[in-house]
Amino acid sequence: MIAFENVTKRFPLGNVALESVSFTVNDNDFVFLVGPSGAGKTTILRLIMHEYLPSSGNVTINDQVISSKSFRKIHELRRQIGVIFQDFKILPEKNVYENISLSLKVNKTPSSQIQQEVLKALSLVGLSKKERVFPSQLSAGELQRVAIARAIVGNRDIILADEPTGNLDPKTAWEIMKIFKKLEGRKTIIIATHNTDIVNSLQKRVILMKDGRLIKDMKKGGYEL
Amino acid sequence: MAGFLVLFFTLFLSTAIFVTICFLTGLLGYVETRPQVTVYFQNKTTQDDIFKVRDELSASGKYAKKPAYLPEIAEYLKKQPGVDEVNFQKDIVERLLTLTSIVRLTSLVFFVFLLLMSIVVLTTAILYKIALKKDEIELLRLLGATSFYIKKPFLFEGILFGLIASLMSFGIIAGAIYSLRPFLFSYLRGINYLSLPIANYQLQLWPLSPVFLGVTFVLSALFGITIAILATLLATAKYLK
Repeated sequence: MIAFENVTKRFPLGNVALESVSFTVNDNDFVFLVGPSGAGKTTILRLIMHEYLPSSGNVTINDQVISSKSFRKIHELRRQIGVIFQDFKILPEKNVYENISLSLKVNKTPSSQIQQEVLKALSLVGLSKKERVFPSQLSAGELQRVAIARAIVGNRDIILADEPTGNLDPKTAWEIMKIFKKLEGRKTIIIATHNTDIVNSLQKRVILMKDGRLIKDMKKGGYEL
Repeated sequence: MAGFLVLFFTLFLSTAIFVTICFLTGLLGYVETRPQVTVYFQNKTTQDDIFKVRDELSASGKYAKKPAYLPEIAEYLKKQPGVDEVNFQKDIVERLLTLTSIVRLTSLVFFVFLLLMSIVVLTTAILYKIALKKDEIELLRLLGATSFYIKKPFLFEGILFGLIASLMSFGIIAGAIYSLRPFLFSYLRGINYLSLPIANYQLQLWPLSPVFLGVTFVLSALFGITIAILATLLATAKYLK
């Protein structure tokens, strides 16, 4: 379970990214974080990743307060989380297989299992037989699939996706969402997005953010501003 | 490449200095263990007088165990009747002692300079490599890699560079010593054995022994690896902070 308790995040120059935000996400929940640019969606994801520390309040994951300065198990925390970045963060000099296997290597997965897991993930995202292809030979949609495959391998329980369909055409965006749907109920999924069509169609839990504040938390909501 | 060349240069000079100091120390030890005073008597001096001087010297308890005792013995002998001239190794020992001290001091200064220079150059080279891999390192951290996991490839590369540089510098120096053997044989004529005392063990220097060469290589390799590890830790610590 992920819990935000009165979390405020102020940056050194004084701008407030989050203001007294509280919510909980249960295990295997599927949640959309929506809101305009600067609403605080990415800040929430970064706080979960321990990239940021809150200025006040607590962030708890599986009963462990990760938001204190004394929290030292950052790499263990991050091994539980698969992240899909808006800019993909796919390494251009490594092929698809090597990019995905990075996620398993840092998890100390035995090399005998790495091939098995990578091929399974590639099959799930619809990229079978593309494991030796280099990123420069892939489309934006395919790169996003590689990023998803990298996020789901290695038994990562939490999947965070920051604008996963932001750079994609509507058809590809829906294909990407279908992959997330396949993972529903097996992993905790938090997707920060602007995509009104997808949010309105899927009718999942929606946390609406605006100017760093949590405006609405809807169990089966849509994208409303 | 620049980092590797500096490491090689440092190891080459350090190994050459180490071998030179070992030989000078061994030579000094050799001379020190063979103190000798030569006394020339006047022609008129009888054999009985000579034996008398010898017996009196023995009775006085003055033995030439160490070169430091030689001046005293020489002074004593000069005062004896019938003695024409007294010679001892004062000059040789003093020159060797001075030379060894100068070499040791110069080497120490040179060694520290080389050490600092190689660490600075290697650290800069590794920082440059880290900057090239910035995206990969950032991604690895977000995926949950430990600091050691990120440092590991840089450490392995540094250790490999250290080993190769020490192997190359040792190879060149060992080759040079072997090719200079005829010259060394003539230079060290009359000296059958040179050694370096290490605790209770005498490390044979001359004739060239595989143990001495082995020790030289191991020390050179350890030194190279230590420099490489230090530079890697400095560079990664600065970047991963």
